[in-house]
Amino acid sequence: MAELQMLDPNEHAVSGRYRLWWRFSRNASAVAGSVIILSVVILAVFAPWLTPHPKDAGMVVDFLHRHQPPSAEHWFGTDKVGRDIFSRTVFGLRISLLLVVGVLGISVPSGAVLGLCAGYFGGWTERIIGGLTNIMLAMPPLVMALAISNLLEPNLFNAMLSITILWWTWHARLVYNVSKSIATEDYVEAARLSGAGPAHILFREILPNCVPVISVKTTLDAAFVILFGATLSFLGFGVQPPTPDLGTMVADARQYLPEYWWEVVCPGAAILYVTLGFNLLGDGLRDMFDVGS
Amino acid sequence: MAAALLDVQGLDVFFTTYGRKRQVLRDVGFSIAPSERVALIGETGSGKSVTAKAIIGTLPNNATIDGGRIALEGEDVLSLSRDRREALKGTAFSLIMQDPLSSFNPVFRIGTHLDDVMRFADRRNGIRNGKAARRKRIAEVLRRVQLSEPERVMNAWPSELSGGMRQRVLIGLALLHRPRLLIADEPGTALDVTTQDEILNLVNRLVEEEGMALLLITHNLGVVRKAADRVVVMHHGDIVETGPTERIMKEPAAAYTLSLLDAVPALFGPKVTDQPESRGVPIVTIRNLDKLYGRRQHRFHAVKNVSFDLRKGEIFGLAGESGSGKTSVARMVMGLTPPSAGTIEIDGKAAGDRRATQIVYQNPGTSLNPRRSVEQTLTLPLASIGMRGAARSARLDELMQLVRLPRSYLGKYPHELSGGQKQRVAIARALAAEPRILILDEPTAALDVSVQKTIIDLLLQLRDELGLTYLIISHDLSLMRNFCSRIAIMLRGEIVEEGRPAELFAEPEHPYTRALISAIPVVSDDEEHLKPKVTETERQRFLVAATQ
Repeated sequence: MAELQMLDPNEHAVSGRYRLWWRFSRNASAVAGSVIILSVVILAVFAPWLTPHPKDAGMVVDFLHRHQPPSAEHWFGTDKVGRDIFSRTVFGLRISLLLVVGVLGISVPSGAVLGLCAGYFGGWTERIIGGLTNIMLAMPPLVMALAISNLLEPNLFNAMLSITILWWTWHARLVYNVSKSIATEDYVEAARLSGAGPAHILFREILPNCVPVISVKTTLDAAFVILFGATLSFLGFGVQPPTPDLGTMVADARQYLPEYWWEVVCPGAAILYVTLGFNLLGDGLRDMFDVGS
Repeated sequence: MAAALLDVQGLDVFFTTYGRKRQVLRDVGFSIAPSERVALIGETGSGKSVTAKAIIGTLPNNATIDGGRIALEGEDVLSLSRDRREALKGTAFSLIMQDPLSSFNPVFRIGTHLDDVMRFADRRNGIRNGKAARRKRIAEVLRRVQLSEPERVMNAWPSELSGGMRQRVLIGLALLHRPRLLIADEPGTALDVTTQDEILNLVNRLVEEEGMALLLITHNLGVVRKAADRVVVMHHGDIVETGPTERIMKEPAAAYTLSLLDAVPALFGPKVTDQPESRGVPIVTIRNLDKLYGRRQHRFHAVKNVSFDLRKGEIFGLAGESGSGKTSVARMVMGLTPPSAGTIEIDGKAAGDRRATQIVYQNPGTSLNPRRSVEQTLTLPLASIGMRGAARSARLDELMQLVRLPRSYLGKYPHELSGGQKQRVAIARALAAEPRILILDEPTAALDVSVQKTIIDLLLQLRDELGLTYLIISHDLSLMRNFCSRIAIMLRGEIVEEGRPAELFAEPEHPYTRALISAIPVVSDDEEHLKPKVTETERQRFLVAATQ
């Protein structure tokens, strides 16, 4: 890219925003990913109006229609107490997205700030934050999350909490690497010589240059968080019934395999769908921003 | 021109970026006869590198060749299959890599790297050579590029060789299969002046002895005079002028060529400018400055016992090659690194007053934050001295006027500006808080010659308008000759010679100064004759010292 820009005197006629849009619109993976995520977000936000049986998200029992295969009435069939699996899956997506927003909403900013500080200040700040990050990264994540959820009451909030505690480290480490290299750039020194304080340098000079990397990582992380949350729920440490969570639904229906396969396959496919969406978008963004992995 | 080795005709190349197609080469045509040396010269965006890439076949994916013919030894390479075209590499033509510092994989020994290249080329061409035969040829080639101990070089890791030695290895690499055409893209520009000079001499000698033709791509007219028989001048994708080097240098036909020649700073003769000597009081006093880096075994004495005065209103130049310690001195004056010993006084006070000194960096591409607009960049120093509201807005106007940029540019981002414009913004930022001393760190090294001249003129005007004092650090003596009122030459951390430019150039005392001056490529024979004479032993001595 750099070379092309050099060769081309008219390059600066194209605005940065137009360039990004151009690259996005030609990136099949990014477009497909955004379409998937957009559809999931719309379904999740308007779940009560878009689902055929919104009441089934709660404690409803209809033994007459239990274990029914997919039909026009129940697209994904019904579960062991006769609830509409499609409605419950859509509500499950809601929980998944909530988990993503909660976990990444806290762990990305805090990880980024710690990484920025460690990379820019160096010295003891770097050693302490780096050490802490390394210790956290050395713990097996699932075991840690199970331990934390076990100590506390198993519910959505605590599942979120336990994942968050583990998650910031990845962002701290990523942003640390980027910020350490940007900290040596001439423009950072020039800003310091112009009298800028550390806050200005961290958040105005360095952070904007980390945005591409952070956004790629965050998007890919969203998929991981959903999987992780589903794993916790599957093991019984996440969201508790009757709240419809994709992981819990798979766990509950497992005992009815293989006869009532739809009860496992449909929520499982939903997990696959949303995870795929985030992964496609993340990959697409990586190509767009030209960020190394 | 049936006998032409390379014949390019009517070449049209387009680039498609973000859905827009733009022509980057327009009807480019020239030819090279066997054992002829031709230079493609032009500034950034002239299309000289695109032309070379079209010949080699390494155009980027978004490029299309819409017309024209490239014939190598009578064969149209554009219509050849991929494999046939690959097979030409190394034998019909060969490329000398531009950047010796990043062209080697650090985990392979030099010998392994060369052997790989040779083995792959052999395989392409269906030649069967044993390992011993290859090793023999590699040693032979290394000897050809004047690496006297080929065995030692082959067993060395890339990091153990100096930049100059690595550049030699790269030239050797290009020679492995006895090509008929050697393509050199800005040879040695990443290296110091003295090393660059050596490399040019070497290329010249090899081309002559092996009877190869040379296609030289460069922006430096001095290099052209030294290493080309014929010149092709390019501008915005067009060929402006073609002719024998001698004629182009003496009586250029095209106005563009003339402007290129005019922009080259003169070393000797009537075209040099002498900056008046300043009679002002010393504003910066530096005494017995020392700087050591590292600890114990890894100790590096970067600056040794440096003393000089910077008088008010003068332009003081610190000249030296990489590793000479000039940048360390500048950083200590800025207060960015503490000296290990010695004193720096600014206006009679110990250094540390942030507002007294400011710096303009070498590369405006890295000294401006790509994500901040011109206005944001310039506002920062104003805000930090507490300037707000109308005063700030007025000062922004004033700054833009000072560096001769329209006010509308305040809203632009660095990628929307040309190199020269970016450097103007960097100068405006340095001036914002009204410093008295400006440190210029190779302020024009990253710019085209014609842009260099406008920036230098701007800096001279600013000095007169604002009463500034400059400390410029540079390796480019031809620039400093016309810009500085005093020059100090640094070698291995010490100032070896100091004086007025006119005296320094007329009668350089220290052999290193002589070596430096004589290595500068010049554009006229008259200047060549006026260069100081350096004996071969003297030159070798400093070459090793400066490149190790």
